[in-house]
Amino acid sequence: MNLNPLRRKCFLKQVVDISDAKVSSNPEDTLITYSLGSCIGVSAYDPVCKVGGMLHYQLPSSKQDAPGGTVRNPLMYADTGMEIMLKKMFSLGAEKKRIKVKIAGGAQMLNDNDFFKIGKRNYTVIRQLLWKNGMFIDGEDVGGDAPRTLSLAIQDGTVTVKSRGEEKTL
Amino acid sequence: MAYKILVVDDSATMRALIKRTLTMSGLEIERLCEAGSGKQALDLLTKESVDLILADINMPEMNGIEMAEQVLANPATCRIPVVVVSTEASQTRIQELKTIGVKGFIHKPFTPEQIRDAVVEILGACHAEHV
Repeated sequence: MNLNPLRRKCFLKQVVDISDAKVSSNPEDTLITYSLGSCIGVSAYDPVCKVGGMLHYQLPSSKQDAPGGTVRNPLMYADTGMEIMLKKMFSLGAEKKRIKVKIAGGAQMLNDNDFFKIGKRNYTVIRQLLWKNGMFIDGEDVGGDAPRTLSLAIQDGTVTVKSRGEEKTL
Repeated sequence: MAYKILVVDDSATMRALIKRTLTMSGLEIERLCEAGSGKQALDLLTKESVDLILADINMPEMNGIEMAEQVLANPATCRIPVVVVSTEASQTRIQELKTIGVKGFIHKPFTPEQIRDAVVEILGACHAEHV
């Protein structure tokens, strides 16, 4: 066992659940989300103020859930989830024009019924949302039929995708 | 450095899409000009100097290839990099574009990132050449 406190320092994993979002400005944090199938994980990072956010949404639009009404969990959807996550980032000093967005997920899982094409719709809607907001996608690993894990290191903005034992940096 | 960019496409929607992407890109833009055909682009170039041309191929009056040939053959405009944005992506076509001196090719349908990355790369390289 290593008892040297200097060598014990480790990065803190902040797990973003399904239909969840987290924002951090702590350089020791790593935001991570697991089990991205047809869902999409969005990593957003402002490299100047080192503020990062991660959203794990399941469905494209909240309007289909509660047309004109109250959405039970806004983080379940791309539109309401992105709005909440970005507002939290802005409150910590992030600026839209500086934010680097990277996404992963949107797969067509083998046990899914192809009828709804949720993965593709989730991908299309995030593209539309970002376009409307004047933002680009700076890296992506989407589609296919493999589950993914997405992580964002707040210290330097490194975004990693792990899928079927292979890891890559976006 | 602020750039002047000319977007040439017969579709007003496509011109608007490309112009919005350029505005979003973070590049310092002095002016975005547009033309609906190769001929209109050449007319505009007699009055305006630009730093980059993004042009479609299939257009009325004069297509993008004829336009690029004339731009690159004219001593007054031959240093302007031309990037073709087109649905025509055959190897023959791309080779033809390279032969006449076109700097880049973007296949339609494109993502906004493809336009941004190509423009940033080409303008960056041209700027470095002239420094």
